[in-house]
Amino acid sequence: MATAIGQAASAARLSCDQALKIAREDGEKVYRDLSRFDIRVALEADGWHVDYILKDDRARGGGPHYVIDPLTGGILSKRYEQ
Amino acid sequence: MRAPTAAELMTHPTVRQALEEAWVDSLAEDPIHRHEEGGWIYMSIPSGEILIRRAPSGIQSEIHLDSPPIIADAVIIGVFHTYPNPTAEGWDSGPSEADRRADERDGVPDLIRADNGIHLSGPKRRRGGLEGGPGFPP
Repeated sequence: MATAIGQAASAARLSCDQALKIAREDGEKVYRDLSRFDIRVALEADGWHVDYILKDDRARGGGPHYVIDPLTGGILSKRYEQ
Repeated sequence: MRAPTAAELMTHPTVRQALEEAWVDSLAEDPIHRHEEGGWIYMSIPSGEILIRRAPSGIQSEIHLDSPPIIADAVIIGVFHTYPNPTAEGWDSGPSEADRRADERDGVPDLIRADNGIHLSGPKRRRGGLEGGPGFPP
Protein backbone atom coordinates (compact mmCIF):
# COMPACT_ATOMS: atom_id res chain seq x y z
CA MET A 1 0.00 0.00 0.00
CA ALA A 2 1.41 3.41 -0.95
CA THR A 3 0.18 6.60 0.64
CA ALA A 4 1.15 10.05 -0.65
CA ILE A 5 1.18 12.48 2.26
CA GLY A 6 2.62 15.72 0.91
CA GLN A 7 2.48 18.12 -2.02
CA ALA A 8 5.33 20.54 -1.33
CA ALA A 9 7.08 20.84 -4.70
CA SER A 10 4.43 22.07 -7.10
CA ALA A 11 6.94 22.27 -9.95
CA ALA A 12 7.56 18.52 -9.90
CA ARG A 13 7.62 16.81 -13.28
CA LEU A 14 7.99 13.37 -11.88
CA SER A 15 4.70 11.77 -10.90
CA CYS A 16 4.19 9.85 -7.69
CA ASP A 17 3.94 6.62 -9.68
CA GLN A 18 7.21 7.36 -11.46
CA ALA A 19 8.95 8.03 -8.16
CA LEU A 20 7.58 4.78 -6.77
CA LYS A 21 8.80 2.88 -9.82
CA ILE A 22 12.32 4.25 -9.43
CA ALA A 23 12.39 3.34 -5.76
CA ARG A 24 10.91 -0.10 -6.35
CA GLU A 25 13.44 -0.96 -9.05
CA ASP A 26 16.34 -0.11 -6.78
CA GLY A 27 14.77 -1.69 -3.70
CA GLU A 28 14.07 -4.99 -5.42
CA LYS A 29 17.70 -5.29 -6.45
CA VAL A 30 18.82 -4.98 -2.85
CA TYR A 31 15.96 -6.44 -0.76
CA ARG A 32 14.58 -8.79 -3.44
CA ASP A 33 11.13 -9.02 -1.84
CA LEU A 34 9.42 -5.77 -0.89
CA SER A 35 6.06 -7.32 -0.03
CA ARG A 36 6.73 -7.15 3.71
CA PHE A 37 6.79 -3.36 3.62
CA ASP A 38 4.23 -0.60 3.50
CA ILE A 39 5.25 2.38 1.38
CA ARG A 40 5.07 5.99 2.51
CA VAL A 41 5.43 8.63 -0.23
CA ALA A 42 5.70 12.38 0.30
CA LEU A 43 6.61 15.18 -2.08
CA GLU A 44 8.73 17.55 -0.02
CA ALA A 45 10.89 20.58 -0.80
CA ASP A 46 13.92 18.43 -1.62
CA GLY A 47 12.12 15.79 -3.66
CA TRP A 48 10.02 12.68 -3.46
CA HIS A 49 10.56 10.82 -0.22
CA VAL A 50 9.80 7.12 -0.60
CA ASP A 51 10.05 5.09 2.58
CA TYR A 52 9.52 1.35 2.92
CA ILE A 53 8.22 0.60 6.43
CA LEU A 54 7.93 -2.89 7.93
CA LYS A 55 4.32 -4.01 8.03
CA ASP A 56 4.98 -6.02 11.18
CA ASP A 57 5.36 -3.46 13.93
CA ARG A 58 6.65 -6.12 16.37
CA ALA A 59 9.68 -6.84 14.22
CA ARG A 60 13.15 -5.37 14.36
CA GLY A 61 14.61 -4.55 10.97
CA GLY A 62 14.18 -2.09 8.19
CA GLY A 63 13.70 -1.28 4.56
CA PRO A 64 14.99 1.16 1.97
CA HIS A 65 14.48 4.92 2.13
CA TYR A 66 14.87 7.27 -0.83
CA VAL A 67 14.85 10.92 -1.80
CA ILE A 68 14.25 11.24 -5.54
CA ASP A 69 14.80 14.36 -7.64
CA PRO A 70 11.33 15.58 -8.71
CA LEU A 71 12.68 16.97 -11.98
CA THR A 72 15.22 14.43 -13.20
CA GLY A 73 14.15 11.25 -11.42
CA GLY A 74 17.66 10.74 -10.07
CA ILE A 75 18.07 9.20 -6.65
CA LEU A 76 19.42 12.01 -4.48
CA SER A 77 19.93 9.85 -1.40
CA LYS A 78 19.16 6.35 -0.28
CA ARG A 79 19.47 4.46 2.95
CA TYR A 80 19.21 0.70 3.33
CA GLU A 81 18.04 -0.09 6.84
CA GLN A 82 18.45 -3.53 8.36
CA MET B 1 22.76 -6.06 42.56
CA ARG B 2 21.84 -3.76 39.67
CA ALA B 3 21.13 -4.26 36.00
CA PRO B 4 24.30 -3.99 33.87
CA THR B 5 24.61 -1.13 31.44
CA ALA B 6 24.79 -1.66 27.69
CA ALA B 7 28.49 -0.83 27.81
CA GLU B 8 29.05 -3.44 30.52
CA LEU B 9 27.14 -6.05 28.53
CA MET B 10 29.17 -5.25 25.45
CA THR B 11 32.39 -6.28 27.18
CA HIS B 12 31.01 -9.29 29.07
CA PRO B 13 32.65 -12.50 27.76
CA THR B 14 29.39 -14.47 27.63
CA VAL B 15 27.68 -11.71 25.67
CA ARG B 16 30.64 -11.23 23.36
CA GLN B 17 30.68 -14.93 22.61
CA ALA B 18 26.94 -14.92 21.90
CA LEU B 19 27.33 -11.97 19.55
CA GLU B 20 30.15 -13.63 17.65
CA GLU B 21 28.29 -16.93 17.37
CA ALA B 22 25.25 -15.08 16.07
CA TRP B 23 27.45 -13.24 13.59
CA VAL B 24 28.93 -16.49 12.25
CA ASP B 25 25.48 -18.03 11.98
CA SER B 26 24.26 -14.98 10.02
CA LEU B 27 26.32 -16.06 6.99
CA ALA B 28 27.30 -12.48 6.27
CA GLU B 29 29.65 -13.57 3.49
CA ASP B 30 26.84 -15.28 1.58
CA PRO B 31 24.85 -12.71 -0.42
CA ILE B 32 21.93 -15.08 -0.93
CA HIS B 33 21.60 -16.67 2.50
CA ARG B 34 22.76 -13.92 4.85
CA HIS B 35 20.13 -13.25 7.51
CA GLU B 36 19.68 -11.76 10.95
CA GLU B 37 20.34 -13.77 14.11
CA GLY B 38 19.84 -12.72 17.70
CA GLY B 39 18.49 -13.51 21.11
CA TRP B 40 18.04 -12.43 24.69
CA ILE B 41 20.41 -11.72 27.57
CA TYR B 42 19.26 -12.66 31.06
CA MET B 43 20.61 -12.18 34.55
CA SER B 44 20.01 -14.83 37.19
CA ILE B 45 18.74 -13.02 40.25
CA PRO B 46 20.17 -15.47 42.81
CA SER B 47 23.63 -15.73 41.28
CA GLY B 48 24.12 -12.75 38.98
CA GLU B 49 25.13 -15.11 36.19
CA ILE B 50 24.57 -13.94 32.62
CA LEU B 51 22.52 -16.35 30.50
CA ILE B 52 21.84 -16.36 26.77
CA ARG B 53 18.93 -17.72 24.78
CA ARG B 54 18.82 -17.56 20.98
CA ALA B 55 15.77 -16.53 18.98
CA PRO B 56 14.59 -18.25 15.80
CA SER B 57 16.61 -17.09 12.80
CA GLY B 58 15.43 -13.94 11.08
CA ILE B 59 15.53 -13.06 7.41
CA GLN B 60 17.68 -10.70 5.34
CA SER B 61 16.83 -7.53 7.26
CA GLU B 62 14.31 -8.50 9.91
CA ILE B 63 14.09 -10.53 13.12
CA HIS B 64 11.57 -11.02 15.92
CA LEU B 65 12.76 -10.67 19.50
CA ASP B 66 9.42 -9.84 21.06
CA SER B 67 8.58 -13.30 22.50
CA PRO B 68 11.42 -14.30 24.81
CA PRO B 69 11.36 -17.59 26.72
CA ILE B 70 10.90 -17.23 30.45
CA ILE B 71 13.75 -18.45 32.68
CA ALA B 72 12.91 -19.05 36.32
CA ASP B 73 14.58 -16.59 38.70
CA ALA B 74 16.09 -14.60 35.83
CA VAL B 75 15.15 -11.34 34.13
CA ILE B 76 15.95 -10.04 30.67
CA ILE B 77 18.63 -7.36 30.78
CA GLY B 78 19.29 -7.02 27.05
CA VAL B 79 18.73 -8.28 23.54
CA PHE B 80 21.16 -8.72 20.70
CA HIS B 81 21.00 -9.24 16.99
CA THR B 82 23.05 -8.98 13.84
CA TYR B 83 23.12 -6.74 10.80
CA PRO B 84 24.61 -9.14 8.25
CA ASN B 85 24.34 -6.90 5.20
CA PRO B 86 27.57 -5.16 4.21
CA THR B 87 28.12 -1.47 4.82
CA ALA B 88 30.39 -1.50 1.75
CA GLU B 89 27.26 -2.06 -0.35
CA GLY B 90 25.49 0.89 1.22
CA TRP B 91 23.69 -0.82 4.09
CA ASP B 92 23.16 1.29 7.19
CA SER B 93 24.81 -0.11 10.33
CA GLY B 94 23.04 2.19 12.80
CA PRO B 95 19.82 1.16 14.53
CA SER B 96 16.81 1.27 12.23
CA GLU B 97 13.64 3.16 13.09
CA ALA B 98 11.90 -0.14 13.85
CA ASP B 99 14.77 -1.24 16.08
CA ARG B 100 14.67 1.99 18.07
CA ARG B 101 10.91 1.74 18.47
CA ALA B 102 11.09 -1.90 19.59
CA ASP B 103 13.95 -1.19 21.98
CA GLU B 104 12.04 1.67 23.58
CA ARG B 105 8.98 -0.57 23.89
CA ASP B 106 10.88 -3.52 25.37
CA GLY B 107 12.94 -1.42 27.78
CA VAL B 108 16.32 -3.15 27.59
CA PRO B 109 19.58 -2.35 25.76
CA ASP B 110 20.01 -3.79 22.28
CA LEU B 111 23.47 -4.81 21.10
CA ILE B 112 23.76 -4.97 17.32
CA ARG B 113 26.68 -6.74 15.66
CA ALA B 114 27.42 -5.32 12.21
CA ASP B 115 30.43 -5.68 9.94
CA ASN B 116 31.92 -2.49 11.35
CA GLY B 117 31.50 -3.30 15.03
CA ILE B 118 28.89 -3.38 17.76
CA HIS B 119 26.22 -0.68 17.91
CA LEU B 120 23.94 0.14 20.82
CA SER B 121 20.27 1.02 20.82
CA GLY B 122 17.60 1.40 23.47
CA PRO B 123 17.93 2.39 27.12
CA LYS B 124 21.29 2.46 28.90
CA ARG B 125 20.17 -0.40 31.15
CA ARG B 126 17.00 -2.41 31.88
CA ARG B 127 14.16 0.01 32.59
CA GLY B 128 13.31 0.05 36.30
CA GLY B 129 16.25 -2.11 37.34
CA LEU B 130 15.95 -5.80 38.11
CA GLU B 131 12.43 -5.52 39.49
CA GLY B 132 9.31 -6.43 37.60
CA GLY B 133 9.58 -10.17 37.19
CA PRO B 134 10.78 -12.30 34.30
CA GLY B 135 10.60 -11.25 30.69
CA PHE B 136 10.86 -7.64 29.58
CA PRO B 137 10.38 -4.94 32.21
CA PRO B 138 6.85 -3.63 32.73
